[in-house]
Amino acid sequence: MNFDFDLIVRSFPLLLVGAGVTVQITAFSVSLGLLIGMFVGIARLSNTWIIKALAAVYVDFIRGTPLLVQIFLIYFALPIIVGQRIDPFIAAITACSINSGAYVAEIFRGGIQSIDKGQMEAGRSLGMTWGQTMRHIILPQAFKRIIPPLGNEFIAMMKDSSLVSVIGFEELTRRGQLIIARTYGSFEIWLSVAFIYLIMTFTISRLVDYLERRYKIDDKH
Amino acid sequence: MISIKNVHKHFGKLHVLKGINAHIAEKEVVVIIGPSGSGKSTLLRCINYLEEPTEGEIIVDGIPLTNESNINKVREEVGMVFQRFNLFPHKSVLENIILAPMTVRKTPKSEAVKIAQDLLVKVGLADKEHAYPEQLSGGQQQRVAIARALAMKPKIMLFDEPTSALDPEMVKEVLDVMKSLAHEGMTMAIVTHEMGFAREVGDRVLFMDEGRLVEEGTPEEIFSHAKEERTKSFLSKIL
Repeated sequence: MNFDFDLIVRSFPLLLVGAGVTVQITAFSVSLGLLIGMFVGIARLSNTWIIKALAAVYVDFIRGTPLLVQIFLIYFALPIIVGQRIDPFIAAITACSINSGAYVAEIFRGGIQSIDKGQMEAGRSLGMTWGQTMRHIILPQAFKRIIPPLGNEFIAMMKDSSLVSVIGFEELTRRGQLIIARTYGSFEIWLSVAFIYLIMTFTISRLVDYLERRYKIDDKH
Repeated sequence: MISIKNVHKHFGKLHVLKGINAHIAEKEVVVIIGPSGSGKSTLLRCINYLEEPTEGEIIVDGIPLTNESNINKVREEVGMVFQRFNLFPHKSVLENIILAPMTVRKTPKSEAVKIAQDLLVKVGLADKEHAYPEQLSGGQQQRVAIARALAMKPKIMLFDEPTSALDPEMVKEVLDVMKSLAHEGMTMAIVTHEMGFAREVGDRVLFMDEGRLVEEGTPEEIFSHAKEERTKSFLSKIL
């Protein structure tokens, strides 16, 4: 077998463009997913049954169906409802953030539930509303605890974003496919793609480690 | 100041409060004693609606505890101190104290800080304002918790076994702070096992057992001349 190192060198700039797009999708999806997840996670702990039920249906539906199917649903089914074609980038981010939101919601729910009940009682007994106590007391403490699982979710999202290649969106994996279609260098290109993913996820996991350590120190003072 | 009428509380099948009637007057220090599981903490927690009575009526400072906005209003006037302190671990001592005045009363920060520093002097922790709760001893944490409650300038203070989680040598420093509050004329309801304190500081003592108010009277009447057999047998075991 010939290993064409030159092919790797030539393709690398193109792959890096794809990697940039992957980072973009991931960043958007994780940010939106974080927002969705925070509200849904809180909603799952609501005392109002309808809010709680809606949140549970959302989480169960998303976690119970494959991301790939969700991407198809958004990209192919949604245009029929709204009556116009959806831009692949919008579809990709929508599907990924809705997906990520459900997992993040469960992380937030667990984090909030892990905070001692006395904290909410102390806040309420001082006359603060439920929302004020959540914002000033519960969420800041919960957030520190959920940094590691959120980091995992971030990494998972980055890898799962490769699935949006099926709707022709040119992120890292799709770029790789296109280059292989032209050059037949599947071994070299897939190896490069894998390597780039590895570098990116490794960077994130170091970042998360750093955040975790910093907050641990913050806790102590 | 506080009027409790026929209050019942069920936890599922458990009937914890069985028709409590009580009254606490302005500037009165009422001490609630009784064996574990007698419902005394639950009664205290009903006064600021941390527990919702299943039946009955509670009126605090003329406000009936009926809906959410009334409850928040009452909680602004009623300070509570917990057995396990419940300080906010991610906030410094000063931040613990100024948070509620700033978010609830919209007190400007400079003013809230001034109030907090005065309170810290009062509870003897002026040098700890930048410390974090975990750096403090139990007794110090509880004194911060008292200062935190006082920062809302409450009309009534509730104490739920404030010294039960403390090492013995730290009990006194907390009781001393409570004593000075009582002398200043704060209306207080205290659940405690500190009988010496109850006797010295209490204007009135309520004895509860199995969800009922068995007997009430001055400390002298309860501790020296109890009428009910149940009160006598409880006191004979602990005094």
